[in-house]
Amino acid sequence: MPADPNMKILIVDDMSTMRRIVKNILKQLGFSNMEEAENGQEGLQKLRADTYGFVVSDWNMPVMTGIDMLRAIRADEKLKHIPVLMVTAEAQKENLVEAIQAGVSNYIVKPFTAETMQEKLNKIFK
Amino acid sequence: MEASVENGHMKLYAELGELARFVENAMRKLTEIGTPMLHSSAQLPQAASHLQDLNKMTEEGTHEVMRLTELIQESQGCLQKDLAKAKDVLLAMDCTSLAERLKLATDTLAENDKHLVEIMTALSFQDLVAQRVKKLVTILDDVQRKLMELVVVFGIEQQKPASDQASKADEMLKQLEASKTASIKQDLADEILSEFGFK
Repeated sequence: MPADPNMKILIVDDMSTMRRIVKNILKQLGFSNMEEAENGQEGLQKLRADTYGFVVSDWNMPVMTGIDMLRAIRADEKLKHIPVLMVTAEAQKENLVEAIQAGVSNYIVKPFTAETMQEKLNKIFK
Repeated sequence: MEASVENGHMKLYAELGELARFVENAMRKLTEIGTPMLHSSAQLPQAASHLQDLNKMTEEGTHEVMRLTELIQESQGCLQKDLAKAKDVLLAMDCTSLAERLKLATDTLAENDKHLVEIMTALSFQDLVAQRVKKLVTILDDVQRKLMELVVVFGIEQQKPASDQASKADEMLKQLEASKTASIKQDLADEILSEFGFK
């Protein structure tokens, strides 16, 4: 199913610059309904309080990491269907394997380009 | 028999004496190393604080570049819409060559848009730098904690820094500290210049 340009997207990253970059790229790709969270815990709260169609998350964050948030999403009956894209500097094979085991929908290594984001979105929403 | 026991005691005393001198020597050396070590350790929190400032400065700079890039993206978007409308009008009036030229301009804007997105994504360097700086700060905290443990274990007392190196580091930190408070903004500089007759 192609991505709905009106779907609500949650961007979770502790760095304000990264949230702005992801938001800007998604805007260029045609999405306009975006929310932000600074860590996994805040992300989960927002996900539980509203309806989201897609989550883009960092891995390393204070309070709750992206991988822990991903596990919590997959363990939650109401949230487990939401596609989660990890955008992270954690470029070790073990990290990728851990994310796959936790149920990640796709994985982008920083630094990345808009084309990579587009390609991953196409794969997630095909 | 007695002579041999006495001889053994003498040897033991001599070895114990040597051991005592060795321990005393080692303690003195540790104390000598300890003072500059303590001084360096005292500088670590300051150095960590400057690293954190570095993060803040790159973050602010990056946001400013992003703000300007987003402004250009916005005006590019408006231009593209206006050009598309003008092109439709020209086509309706059968001015195909002019419409074609507008299409070329629209294509150039689209190409510029791609470059602007590339500028935005290139700015992700700030996040990578910040993550490394955070790790360095954690390492500095750890080193300082371990140095403090040594200081406590060996009861080293703080004295004035002995080595030139410690003084140099001290001086550099002082310069960094001063630059935090002494740097002035251009507005203020202009104000002062105008007070001195600069126009």
